[in-house]
Amino acid sequence: MALSHFFKHLSFASSNGFCTLSRRFIHPSLTSLFKNINGKTQPSIPTKISHPLSHCYTSASEPASSTLLSPYLSVRIQCRKDIADMFSEALMCFGATSITVDEDDNCDTSNEICIESIFPESEDVDVCISQAADSVGLKEKPSYEVETGEHYDWIKKTQESFDPVEVSEGLWIVPEWKTPPDAEATNIILNPGLAFGTGEHPTTRLCLLLLRRLIKGGEYFLDYGTGSGILAIAALKFGASLSVGIDIDPLAITSARHNAALNDIGPEKLRLRLVSGNTSSPSIDEHKDVRKQTSCEMVVEPEHARYDVIVANILLNPLLELADDIVSHAKPGAPIGLSGILSEQIPCIINRYSPLLDNISVTEMDDWACLSGRKKLTGN
Amino acid sequence: MSTLKEILTRRPVAATIRLTVPAGGARPAPPVGPALGQYRLNLMAFCKDFNARTQKYKPDTPMAVTITAFKDNTFEFTVKSPSVTWYLKKAAGIESGSSRPGHVIATTLSVRHIYEIAKIKQSDPYCQYMSLESICKSIIGTANTVGIKVVKELD
Repeated sequence: MALSHFFKHLSFASSNGFCTLSRRFIHPSLTSLFKNINGKTQPSIPTKISHPLSHCYTSASEPASSTLLSPYLSVRIQCRKDIADMFSEALMCFGATSITVDEDDNCDTSNEICIESIFPESEDVDVCISQAADSVGLKEKPSYEVETGEHYDWIKKTQESFDPVEVSEGLWIVPEWKTPPDAEATNIILNPGLAFGTGEHPTTRLCLLLLRRLIKGGEYFLDYGTGSGILAIAALKFGASLSVGIDIDPLAITSARHNAALNDIGPEKLRLRLVSGNTSSPSIDEHKDVRKQTSCEMVVEPEHARYDVIVANILLNPLLELADDIVSHAKPGAPIGLSGILSEQIPCIINRYSPLLDNISVTEMDDWACLSGRKKLTGN
Repeated sequence: MSTLKEILTRRPVAATIRLTVPAGGARPAPPVGPALGQYRLNLMAFCKDFNARTQKYKPDTPMAVTITAFKDNTFEFTVKSPSVTWYLKKAAGIESGSSRPGHVIATTLSVRHIYEIAKIKQSDPYCQYMSLESICKSIIGTANTVGIKVVKELD
């Protein structure tokens, strides 16, 4: 599949790249990652994409970091069933990043169990296993075998599991490699890659249902934290005249751009912008890296007080911190939707947003909630 | 005890996965990616769920999460607060425990630190039935195994 090639370069593995991932995301070596993508994917992208990726991120100058694409080590260890639990805990303490116990491998007759463990490539597996065995009290070191895993293996596997999903009547989300079950309905074609938003998650559904009620036609829509771009694309399909999607994750922007192309939406109708991950307003870029990266995008500043509808489907803490910023982009009286919160987090969000929004109402699905309100008419 | 209905609808388990993920920082990259991807679990759903549930912890605290993957590609997971040794090391400001616990003391902590750690641990699923005093005793025991001495007052 040509796209697996594309996503091989989208993946990045280094654990040290992500330990510092709070909200300051822009990792300089990612710009070089996109330089790799330019070279590789041009022959395989279908011709209907009018805005190829090669226009962006060509100004990268940082050297490529090899640790981003380094594979991981997958180790299978045999050990006795009764101490398997303690041994797994010990392995985690000594350097394993994950431990998996496969139920299928359990043979009722033998008392041996097979543990599969994943280590970062730089880790010394032998030392780690001996230390773990010692701490648990095993007399001899258990037998194990090591293999190196590549990223496209697991990315491909997860992509295989997406099926078309009917979010509500007449609205389907269809993965790129499947055909829409109902050609007449509103179909959003997606390839989420590593960004959030396949349409299956309750928060995405809640936001889509909210959008369907709010968008009457001709609005300017802001998708704050766009992920795969699904909400921005849906807004356009429901009749909005312009969608702007912003995100702090460059992968999300790439993914959203790809999805826009899949749905025949050009960059004038769906504008995407990478913003810096700190709490300053996205339109003022003191951050040098971001300016360099966005210099070649078709940029529309998410200007203040210009949007008719805003939806932010992120997480509780960013919603609390960015409340003022999110609301400032809306016209007075404009509806704003917030999601990515659990039902138990609702009081906290209502508390934070009640000085800013009127008519706050909450919809819930499973354990998740979506809050919507209108920006207050007085004040800014 | 499980109800009869639960037993009848219990889904067959494909695997049990243990991971350490920083709070609010789950991403579809290792360690999460390969471990969950192997069983075709929805990575982004897990990441979003995990991140939402760990919002109340300080970002990047390593949380221990145990995921039960079922054969139909669905999953459930429970999140535990970080290990006692992690809290102890953080409170003492050291990177690793003593090399010879029992003989060499790495550092000391006061009873107040232990009390604070015990309060956090009390909300863990497996500690809820224990009294605060017994949780403290167990934490002191763990402190001894990493060479941290507990004193009444720090001077």
